[in-house]
Amino acid sequence: MSECRRIGESLAAYADDLLKPAERSEVERHLAACPACRKLAGNEQGARRLLRQASPELLNETLPPGLRARCEALARERSATQLARFGPWWRVRLVPVLLTVVVMIFGASAFLSIATRRSDALLAAQLTADHSKCFKFLGPPDGTSADARNIERMLFEQYGWRVHVPSSSADDDVQLIGARRCLYGDGLVPHVMYRVHGQDVSLFVLPGTERKADDLVTLGHRSQIWSRDGTTFVMVSAADAGGMASASRYVMREAR
Amino acid sequence: MFRRRQPADADAFGAEVLRYLESLYATAMRLTRNRADAEDLVQDTLVKAFRFSDKFEPGTNLRAWLSTILHNTWRNRVRDAGREAVEVDSTRLEEAETTAEGSSASETPEQLLLRNTLDVDLRAALDELPDVFRQAVWMRDVEEFSYAEIAKALDVPIGTVMSRISRGRRMLLDQLRKTRATA
Repeated sequence: MSECRRIGESLAAYADDLLKPAERSEVERHLAACPACRKLAGNEQGARRLLRQASPELLNETLPPGLRARCEALARERSATQLARFGPWWRVRLVPVLLTVVVMIFGASAFLSIATRRSDALLAAQLTADHSKCFKFLGPPDGTSADARNIERMLFEQYGWRVHVPSSSADDDVQLIGARRCLYGDGLVPHVMYRVHGQDVSLFVLPGTERKADDLVTLGHRSQIWSRDGTTFVMVSAADAGGMASASRYVMREAR
Repeated sequence: MFRRRQPADADAFGAEVLRYLESLYATAMRLTRNRADAEDLVQDTLVKAFRFSDKFEPGTNLRAWLSTILHNTWRNRVRDAGREAVEVDSTRLEEAETTAEGSSASETPEQLLLRNTLDVDLRAALDELPDVFRQAVWMRDVEEFSYAEIAKALDVPIGTVMSRISRGRRMLLDQLRKTRATA
């Protein structure tokens, strides 16, 4: 290995002033005798100084609107989950094991006022993103079915919402696996998760708003939108998921 | 036996994590170079941080812990998308370096410093670096992590970290000179 190459391996630590005195002297002896390496070392130190001088500004990016609110909602959600975990026994029992999330009381007005102004396509895109994210990152808790009545009780106790959640239906190959709070929309919309023919299916419930029925494909997912008694429902599934017709009919008939 | 974090700590942990939001987003922006991906990356990082908060050892560097999650998440996402960062051929780099230094337009680091390099130029120059070098330089000189912390976050040996930092810094200076020459 040439001397230049060997010294080159120490240049990062040299610029960072992390070399032992003996190593440092060796590098300096070489740099004094080698203009090419001296130049490399000078450039490296220069870049280091520039970056460190600018680092407070470089680390201070303006956050996009909504990101802080969403992250704060995540923090609150976690804190609430911890409370549920450490709370008294009756409270732990009350919150079903599958629903490890959601112990906050929220008004939905902020998100819904945005949601109702949005076009169906925007609403569908937002909920599709949430559908993918929830299943991908938090995933269904496990393979077992959840109890619809427990979920309804949670939605009422935590949000004051009376929502009839369609339970599992063997005839339609619908399995209710749980519910959680949306990551999007500032975490203000309940998200009920199902498996239908092995596919992830989401049912979002937007109380206090009515939209015209729609059926559209956004971001590779089909969103079926319908309303009943002042509540909008959106069912999201992969666009090419086959055999969904009877499951869709079942959920649309049962959700209220 | 083990000790679980109590609820009172949960709020404090959340608040502490939120303090680093801007710097996490800045790091995410340099990794993804795109706002929508950066936003997603930060959010996913927080979901994981809260989910695995019991793995964090109180009293250790929370910012480094969060950054490691962020880098891991990004690495997995890049790998899943089949866009694995390719190690840049070192001979080609050395050639590029020599050419840049031979040009008459080159300024000394001091000249660049005196010209009061704008942050926007620095961000643009950083964004031009190949991923592996940008990541190493950013973590060392902007986030100020130790070689060991960077090696852990990037899952490469310390020697590789040092050589990426070294090359990355020099490439950055060349890039800034190019920007100046064309300005």
